[in-house]
Amino acid sequence: MAVITTDQAAVDLREPSGWRRAKNQFATAAMWFSFLCMLVPLGFVLVTVIAKGASVISWQFLTNSTIPPNILPANVGGMGAAVVGTLEITGFAAVMAIPLGVLGAVYLNEYGGNRPLARVLSFFSDVMTGVPSIVMGLFIFTIWVLHFGYSGLAGSFALACLMLPIVIRSSYEMLRLVPNSLREGSYALGATKARVTLTVVLPAAIGGIVSGALLAVARAAGETAPLLFTILTVEATNTNLFHGANTSLSWQIWENAQQPYAGAVARGWGAALTLIAIAFILMIVARLVTARFARYSQ
Amino acid sequence: MQLRGRKQVAAVGGAVAVALLAAACSSSSSSSSSSTPASSSSPSTSAATSGSGTIDAAGSSFQNTYQEAAISAFKSVDPSITVNYDSVGSGTGRSDLYSNTVLFAGSDSPIPSSEASKVPAGKTVLYFPVVIGPISLAYNLPNVSTLKLTPTLIAEIFQGQITSWNNSAIAAVNPGVSLPSTAITVAVRSDSSGTTQNFSLYLEKAAPSVWKLGSSSTIKWPSTAHAGAQNTGVASIIKSTPGAIGYVDYTDAIASGLKSAEVQNKAGDFVAPSPSAASLDAASATIASDLTFAAADASSAAGAYPISYQSWDLVYSTQPNANDVAMLKSYLGYLLGDGQKLLPTLYYAPLPSSLDQKAIAQLSQITSS
Amino acid sequence: MSVTVQADPATPAGSAGLSPRRPIGDRAFQVLALASGLLVLVILVLIAITMSQQSTTWFSSAGWSGVFSIDWDPAHGKFGAMAFLYGTVIVSLIAIIVAYPVSMGVALLLTEVVPRRWSRPIVYVIDLLAVVPSVVWGLWGILILVPWLQTAIYAHVASAVNGIWILGNLFGFLNGNYVSGASFFTAGLILAIMITPIVTSLSREVMATVPTTDKEGAYALGATRWEMIRGAVWPHSQTGIVGAVLLGLGRAMGETIAVALVIGASPTISSHLFTPGYAMPAVIALQFGEATVGEFRAALIGMGVLLFLLTIIVNLSARAVIGRHARSMGGA
Repeated sequence: MAVITTDQAAVDLREPSGWRRAKNQFATAAMWFSFLCMLVPLGFVLVTVIAKGASVISWQFLTNSTIPPNILPANVGGMGAAVVGTLEITGFAAVMAIPLGVLGAVYLNEYGGNRPLARVLSFFSDVMTGVPSIVMGLFIFTIWVLHFGYSGLAGSFALACLMLPIVIRSSYEMLRLVPNSLREGSYALGATKARVTLTVVLPAAIGGIVSGALLAVARAAGETAPLLFTILTVEATNTNLFHGANTSLSWQIWENAQQPYAGAVARGWGAALTLIAIAFILMIVARLVTARFARYSQ
Repeated sequence: MQLRGRKQVAAVGGAVAVALLAAACSSSSSSSSSSTPASSSSPSTSAATSGSGTIDAAGSSFQNTYQEAAISAFKSVDPSITVNYDSVGSGTGRSDLYSNTVLFAGSDSPIPSSEASKVPAGKTVLYFPVVIGPISLAYNLPNVSTLKLTPTLIAEIFQGQITSWNNSAIAAVNPGVSLPSTAITVAVRSDSSGTTQNFSLYLEKAAPSVWKLGSSSTIKWPSTAHAGAQNTGVASIIKSTPGAIGYVDYTDAIASGLKSAEVQNKAGDFVAPSPSAASLDAASATIASDLTFAAADASSAAGAYPISYQSWDLVYSTQPNANDVAMLKSYLGYLLGDGQKLLPTLYYAPLPSSLDQKAIAQLSQITSS
Repeated sequence: MSVTVQADPATPAGSAGLSPRRPIGDRAFQVLALASGLLVLVILVLIAITMSQQSTTWFSSAGWSGVFSIDWDPAHGKFGAMAFLYGTVIVSLIAIIVAYPVSMGVALLLTEVVPRRWSRPIVYVIDLLAVVPSVVWGLWGILILVPWLQTAIYAHVASAVNGIWILGNLFGFLNGNYVSGASFFTAGLILAIMITPIVTSLSREVMATVPTTDKEGAYALGATRWEMIRGAVWPHSQTGIVGAVLLGLGRAMGETIAVALVIGASPTISSHLFTPGYAMPAVIALQFGEATVGEFRAALIGMGVLLFLLTIIVNLSARAVIGRHARSMGGA
């Protein structure tokens, strides 16, 4: 191989010129700056919520079942009713939406294939992810609340409608990642499609499905608009999801953000901190499940 | 290293979640089984006269502070009845009543004619006035401690016809006060509200030749107006803008620390808003037989504050079950009786006593079919 | 599952599936799965039907000219939705314009700049940002951001650009020295913060599909990292990124609570971004409570229908674009 002696005057391709290097460095700096732009509001909001909420949070705040009138200061009563409400309403919505969503994704992936019905359903599932949450709330108000009254159940229906397409889509993506060789091996042993799906495919995708479901639950727990016209409100804990009005942390925050009374606003910050904590816990659990159980990930 | 850290986070997170769940479930108060009015409520065993169970109610946000305080105090009066009141707005409150999802609705205005057809056939709606309150004209002029305004001036200010504070018309009613040359910034509400409805009703009645914007829960304000959502939104505009003036419920003006203008009433006096002045105004209102009335600009008495308004609780006169009748009589009776004593501490005005008596007498018209 | 299939080595593979009568359990499961899938269709059809029913009063009495008029005056029976449509579009555009460079920057950071094991903290930040509920953004927005922006930023920017040709119309004062913290721009900012995570994650996925050979080829030719990005990553990812942006746009349009709290609730059409405005989901949330049953309520539900249609169009365009990208790239 000939040795090429570099002529000082010739362009050396290994060292970019000053101008090109400057552009490169500027671009890298801009990328880090955009990360900073993301970090700053996040930090800002977390610091504010923690600072303002922590002084209000106490065991009493989290568990006291009486939500006091807005006019009273923050050390009276607590948000226990809202915590229970959020857990009940979101929990039941999850119980409805997750199995249905996973089954829907199973249909789309395992049975549907390229058939027109499956493509139509996939299309509409995408359409449904775009329905604004307030529209979901108004829908349940019209078909359920006007006939059966306000209840936590109505709120759960609205949240389940919100969660369903999200769970379908994320489960669908997870099921698609399961290699076909697993399915084919099971068929070769003579298993029916249902058995293959239930005993081989779903367990293989379970990590991703669970973590996707948990993220959908975290999203639903923070929703307010679907609950505005479906659950009314209560001053004390209602553990009965199916009868009677209810309240939730997100609803309380929305109300209290618009009050002139310092006590109400302080309770709003406390509720915000509690809600963020719940959402974070769900997110952390979702990530842990992915790390521990997901065998096939993108 | 990282894994251990994540496991620790997971453990803590899990423990917190479990603790929250356990504590909340164990220490929550007894559940309240509610009744939707269409179905029968849980029968009471001991409190046969006052009923027991849950009352679901919704409506006016003006009443909300009173309802919250009354609900809280009522727990010690009659622990077997739980009341839930959602300040979702007069319109939705009334609509909930029409569809039977609530037992009573809070409304700042009588059922408008456009809604008359929505009331189920054969049902009569009873109006129970529960609270009166002043609407403040809150302003931000640091060096002006007392501001006097006439209805005409208010109408012209809010229609954008008078644009600066040292306008001669304003100066004419405020002798001796040095008004700055600051521009007037009008703060209004753009979310629908009974406050807007009754403020505009007042202007229609008191300055009919000047006020052109009509009366409704939502008004098309001039483009120069600054809009805020809720009383707090308006209050924060006023607080942060020198030269601002806006209309706010008196209770919220006090809570936000705003100064209120004195308004000229029909007798020619300039009166500052206060619970007693509002009650005085309402006392002269013409009360219809169904107890509807309009308190705005009603009184020619000296010392009456003209921008006052009222709120009713609407109930059907015939209820499907006796327990609901008992509960309603008990709670509404409280609102009209001992509950009225709470009002001055909340900066609302109690009902004039003759009106209160009529309302209490009307309670007997709630019967079970 | 009551049916068990014995694995019989004498039976050819797959012959169990070829038998004419499939086990009941298997059929039942398929029907169940199909029913779950159909549920989406059922719900959507119901939504469309009920919402349209409830809003016919508005559409029929106002007609097209009434529906799209700029006059929103419930006191006089006028229910024109133009101001809200304008607000929704403007606020979403601001959100996209602000979120796009930030999302691109972070996505590129994750795919090209930061080594794998250091990318975890950045991904956590994105996840944390995504999981903060919208009502908390609204609470922080109305109580902290709005007052601060009004005095610390908007007032100074407006006085600096007032009178300058286009900038003055966008960022200048409206009537005197009117700027408001609760305004189009603030709502757009908060929306930008909220949609950045989803646009970033999607863009990241798109950028990850760029063939390594293209990237290595660029480096081999002596390109700097930035030149490689422009030459190899960018052309491959463009369609996919457009899809991601459209999805973010759809999300921004439908966001209700945070916008309702910080947009200032004033139905005006104005180019001045530092003044209050209104958006479709916000007006539904704020005015539904007091709306009288009748045309007012029908108008608000009708706006829900319009919003629904708008977000459907945007979301479907996004999926179509991403789908086209996926097909051209060979799919995941």
